[in-house]
Amino acid sequence: MIAEKVEEYAFGGLVAAIGVFTLVDATTIAARADNAVGPRAFPYAVGALLLATGVAAIVATARGKLGQAEEGEDVDAGVRTDWVTVGKLVAVLVAHLVLMGLVGWPVAAAVLFFGAAWTLGAVWWRALPVAVVLALVVQVVFAWGLGLSLPAGIFEGVPFLDG
Amino acid sequence: MDSITALLEGFATAAQPAYLLYALLGVTLGTAVGVLPGIGPAMTVALLLPLTYSLDPTAALIIFAGIYYGGMYGGSTTSILLNTPGESASIVTALEGNKMARAGRGAAALATAAIGSFVAGTIATVLLTLLAPTIADIAVALGPADYVALMVVAFTTVAALLGSSPVRGLASLGLGLFIGLIGTDTLSGQQRFTLGVSTLADGIDVVVVAVGVFAVGEALYVASRLRHGPIEVIPVGGKWMTRSFWARSWKPWLRGTLIGFPIGTVPAGGADVSTFLSYAAEKRLSKRPDEFGHGAIEGVAGPEAANNAAAAGVLVPLLTLGLPTSATAAVIVAAFQSYGIQPGPLLFTNNSAMVWALIASLYIGNVMLLVLNLPLVKMWVKVLQIPRPYLYAGILLFAALGTYAVNFVVDDLIVLLVIGVAGFFMRRHGYPVAPLVVGLILGPMAEEQIRRTLQISEGSLGALVTSPFAAVAYSVLVVLLAVAIVVRLRRKKVESLV
Repeated sequence: MIAEKVEEYAFGGLVAAIGVFTLVDATTIAARADNAVGPRAFPYAVGALLLATGVAAIVATARGKLGQAEEGEDVDAGVRTDWVTVGKLVAVLVAHLVLMGLVGWPVAAAVLFFGAAWTLGAVWWRALPVAVVLALVVQVVFAWGLGLSLPAGIFEGVPFLDG
Repeated sequence: MDSITALLEGFATAAQPAYLLYALLGVTLGTAVGVLPGIGPAMTVALLLPLTYSLDPTAALIIFAGIYYGGMYGGSTTSILLNTPGESASIVTALEGNKMARAGRGAAALATAAIGSFVAGTIATVLLTLLAPTIADIAVALGPADYVALMVVAFTTVAALLGSSPVRGLASLGLGLFIGLIGTDTLSGQQRFTLGVSTLADGIDVVVVAVGVFAVGEALYVASRLRHGPIEVIPVGGKWMTRSFWARSWKPWLRGTLIGFPIGTVPAGGADVSTFLSYAAEKRLSKRPDEFGHGAIEGVAGPEAANNAAAAGVLVPLLTLGLPTSATAAVIVAAFQSYGIQPGPLLFTNNSAMVWALIASLYIGNVMLLVLNLPLVKMWVKVLQIPRPYLYAGILLFAALGTYAVNFVVDDLIVLLVIGVAGFFMRRHGYPVAPLVVGLILGPMAEEQIRRTLQISEGSLGALVTSPFAAVAYSVLVVLLAVAIVVRLRRKKVESLV
């Protein structure tokens, strides 16, 4: 409960901070000094809105009005937050975008799907073939069906996979 | 009568085999994403945007409209058969529908939801057909100040009236407006908030933001509290349609339609509010109020009809004014813009053939959806049972793919991840994500209109409120806010009753 409250303060603070940044950075936008409304006015309004709502969220939190976490079919409201799983998924996404440039889309995509499915509890020897097949099928569909070539990477020059 | 001719021409276009196939593809995809937890129509349309660039706009929009309508149908199957609360618009359906399914009357619940959706969807589409050209004719005369007023109304209703916390809704709107500011100002050519990063100079693509908050944010959030163990789907039992089924369902369908359509059109809070109002109405009018809370069929029929009628109602301001009042509608506006078409009053004159083909496809899509969701409902029960690790891994994979396919640059994936993590925290702390997407899409349009207004008035702020239409719009907004407070109180009462 306390941890959630700290997080809630932090998010409200972040919103307010983006508001302050918007207000400050808006002053640096070059604008002609004439009567017409330039590129600064609207950013000022947005910055003010963010600052006001961020502060209001902090005040609401202090008064005990916490935000209601979203419900969903697959969400178990009764369990504690599994930060390890969230961290692993973010790591898998980072791995995906790093690998894409190094070894190409098919491998990066297989890593993303396999990593995510495994993290969420799939049996690894079942998830692995699914990941490989899915990545290759999408690659072929893109290269041949849609005419959009995803980077083939290590499969460069291979028929069907390199568009 | 002009519009009847135009509609018939629209049918001629939409009935071409290729367009029928696109409509079928759209409604099938839509039902699938409606059935599946974790993905919604907004995200699906956003994901498909980059892949449909090669199609002609009519085909793409027919697919998107199918997804939009289909998502509404599919959601009810999930709320009736899955043992857990579903998306906000369908929670009311879950109240009674779930009880009916457990009592062995699942078939009747599914049937009243599907047929009710069909009846409401069709009537609402007729109303759309009749109203839209007239409203477009009136809207042609609107000036920039009037548009500003309409957008302020849309911002306020979407951000402050939806969700449990108006402050958090407005904060979410602010974040969307801020993201919309990033990039090069269209009027002055100045770079804003780009931090000197070249990727940001062109602005952040709507697809990246929508996929980030809906797909990545949702996947991370569900993963943080994933429900483990087998997926409990209640077996479909009982008779499909009996005499008493029809006798008890038809009035709630019509009442739901009458409640839902205007609420979708106004906009006064979207499908969510309309289902609660319909539920309350059915409960009050019922001869057997004691059945409510234990599986009353009226409590499924009414809200489901209201839900679909509201969804069709949302298309009225979308097509005639270019004003999105829900997240999915906002993404559809982005889809129009990606084809260089600005939805609004001129749509019916400049792109008449396309817009009528689109409306015709809505009628056709509704018929397809009735077939998909009634005789073929068993198929969706199978879809519902997809193991969750694979489902969410798939969502993440296609989120990354869709984002990359926008510009084919890896930098977009970094933006996707940042926005996804933001979406995750927003869900944890009750910040609704819909206002963010609406703000992102409407923000730049609103800024342009405000600046045009003030340019004409030479900086006098009074010009924003002195046009008669704008004055009326702001007055209506005040009334809406008052009504919303009443509805909010009443809804608390409804919630406390069940």
